[in-house]
Parts: sequence; C-alpha cells; structure tokens
Amino acid sequence: QVSELVQFLLVKDQKKIPIKRADMLKNVIGSGIPYSEVINRAGRTLQQVFGLQLVEIDRKRHTYILINNLPRAEGQYLCRDKEKEKMGLLLVILSFIFMKGNSVRDGALWEFLNLLRVYPGKQHRVFGDVRKLLTEEFTRQKYLEITPIPLTDPPEFNYQWGPRAENETSKKDVLNFVAKIQGKDPTFWASQYSEAEA
Amino acid sequence: ENREAMLSSKSNRLTEALEEANKLFDGVCHAREAALDAQFLVIASNIGKEKANELHLEMSAFDSTAFAEDLLTFMGINRTEVEETDDSEDAPGGFLPSDAWQTMGEEATKYLRRAPTFHYMMGSFKSEPPVPKQRIERQRKANRGKAERAMPAQLKKMEESHQEATEKEVERILRILQTHFENDPNTPISFFDFVIDPNSFAHTVENMFHVSFLIRDGLAKIKLDEDGLPIIEPTKPSGRREEDSRAGARNQVVISLDQREWK
Repeated sequence: QVSELVQFLLVKDQKKIPIKRADMLKNVIGSGIPYSEVINRAGRTLQQVFGLQLVEIDRKRHTYILINNLPRAEGQYLCRDKEKEKMGLLLVILSFIFMKGNSVRDGALWEFLNLLRVYPGKQHRVFGDVRKLLTEEFTRQKYLEITPIPLTDPPEFNYQWGPRAENETSKKDVLNFVAKIQGKDPTFWASQYSEAEA
Repeated sequence: ENREAMLSSKSNRLTEALEEANKLFDGVCHAREAALDAQFLVIASNIGKEKANELHLEMSAFDSTAFAEDLLTFMGINRTEVEETDDSEDAPGGFLPSDAWQTMGEEATKYLRRAPTFHYMMGSFKSEPPVPKQRIERQRKANRGKAERAMPAQLKKMEESHQEATEKEVERILRILQTHFENDPNTPISFFDFVIDPNSFAHTVENMFHVSFLIRDGLAKIKLDEDGLPIIEPTKPSGRREEDSRAGARNQVVISLDQREWK
C-alpha cells in the first residue's frame, strides 16, 4: 500500500497541482493500516529513496505537494526546457513581489513585466498567453495567490506568493537572487534583508 | 477616485476623506446612503492598507526599472544591435536572444527546490497514474490483445502476396516457353539456355525454381537430347492426360548448380 501511494504521488506530481488527501484515499489507501500512518510512511520513503519532501500546504483542505529536499547539486539541472523557462519567469515574478512588500497589484506587475518584453495581451514567443500562465497554471500549482481587490472597476487583483512558492524557495534565497542580478550585497535593501533573515 | 493621490505618502487626503464621511453619516437617514457609506469605508481601508505597505518600504526603496535592466543584461541582451524586424517585441533598447529565458531558467533552478517530475523511461500505455495496480494489468492485457489481432492480419497479407508472386512468375515462364514453341514447334529449348541468366546467379536459381513448378504440374517436360543435355518443352494438353494416367511416369531429377559451374 505504501509503495502504491508513493507511485501515485510521484505520478500525480507531474502537473505540479497539489494533491488532495481524498484522492489518495480513494485511489490507493484501502482498509487496514490507518491512512495517516500510510501517508507518513510514504513520506519517509519519498525522502529516503528520492530525496523528496511531502508537504501538507493546506491543513484545512488537506492538500499536499512534493518538493525537492536534496542539497543543490553542481552542474546542469535536468528538466525540460519549457519547464526551465517557466521557472525563470516565475522566479522573476516572485522576486518582484517580495521586493515590493509581498503583495503587488496586477497593474504594477504587468508594468514591470513589460520592461522584460512580456505583455498580458500579446502572445509571447516563449510563454504564449502569459496572462493565462500566471492566472491559471501558476495559480493552480499554488506558486501564486491572486485575490481580487474589492470594489475595483475594472476588477483589479493582488498578487502574492502561494504556498508552493513558500515551500520551494525562501525570501532569503530570492533576495540573494536579486542581489546577484544587481551586483549588490543583500544588505543593500535593509528592510527586505531583515525580513528575509527573520 | 483619486486613488493615486490618496496613496501618496505625503497626502492627508485619506484622513480628510474619512473625516468628511463621518460628518456626512450624521445626516444619513436612508438605507441606500448607509450602504454607500459602507462601500466607502471598504475602499478607504484598502487604501489605508496599501499606504501602510508602502510606508514599510520607504526605507529600502526597490528600483524595479533597474532590476529589469539588470535582468535583461543577465539574459544576454545585445544593446548595440537593434534588429530590423516586424516584431514590435524587440522594443528599442536592444535585441533579446532566443535563449534568454533559458538562461534565466537555468539560474532559477538554483533557487527553486522543485521536485523533478517522474516519468516512465519506456513510456506507458496511458498517461494516467498507475492506480490501482489491477487497472494497469487490465489495460496491458487489452492492449496486448489488440496487438495480436493486428499481427495475424499482417502475416496473412504477406503470405498471400508471396504465393501470388510465385504463381505469376510460373505463368510468365510458361507463356515464354509456349510462345517460343509456337514460333518454332519442333525445336525444344536447351534447359540451360532457358533458365540461365548470364548476369545473375540468383536469378538463374529462381528461374530453375519456377520451371520446377511447371514440371511438377505437368505443364512442361524435360527430356535428354542426343548429347545427354536436358531440353525443355511445353506439354501438349492431350499429352498431359496420357502421362497422368501412366503411373510412375514422373521422375524426380535433382539438378545441382553452383556458382562456378554457372560461370
């Protein structure tokens, strides 16, 4: 049962959409050992065999994600090009959101992305429909959390880090990224630095 | 209205607006007006929140324009060349290479602890999670059945064409033999002259193979001439019947021919 759950989780993780405990129970866990025990054991196997961590990102709705728990390895990261490019865009967006105080309005975000030749209304050579990428894919995967701002007309939205982003990276990592890109020391941005170190 | 103006940290507009709302509320006696007042408060509190946010970062202002410039540099933008394209994406300011986001992505993987996605190396039948195990086996059996059904159909086709080809060849050779005899009824052809292809040993063997069918079916016969060399001639239809009735009229002959002899 445990190995079936492990296999189930690995395959379900392909799309990077959080996995519901209900789905785990429905498809794999039968009777016998209590499911919490099966999930725990599966988590241990994932860590010991694959170096992956099973994280519950929503305690109320019981949804889980898999993240990479291995120390950074040297050399090229093996993943498909399309995936890599999306991660590049994502990191840029997450950095912008953090540096701007953990929450930005969509207008401000697009203004910034335009500087990088990425536009909401225009098909991007690499990313296609970027607005869809952000509002659908990244949101469903829980990298971004988008909330509507009440009583705005036309409707405006707030962009924040989603729980997957919070687990897969940290404010410290992101600040280091920004510092590297700008050739400055992370302490250059004092308040972001103290927030990241907290 | 005037959202940006209210956001400006130097403005007290928000406070003023709130004070005015307070005063107005005293004069309210209709439900609709109260609703408007509530709406106003929601907007005001949102603006208040944003102002608080911006206050927080007043200490460490983040220059997003500079950040964008540095990102483009990192991605390998070429600022000296301005490409002449219809693509208005290449805004003035430089040419962004096609692997720009690849470069960015490569760097990003160092900061994102993303679990590599799991894929079967040899692929699977369906891109569904293998859940539960019984379902996989059922799928596999179904697929195997289909594969087997395809196989016999294919093989049958091949065999048929094989037979047809041979028959056609045999017929063709018979017709050649018959045509020759029509023109020259009394001169049997030397067997070797008939079957040997001076240019191809393999073809010679094939010819002998096809001729053997004719002999087997009694459509042609081989005799030895005065020199002891085999000659071949088509059998006359009447003659065939006679030979069939005679038991043991058919003889088996083994002819061997190797490449040296052929040469």
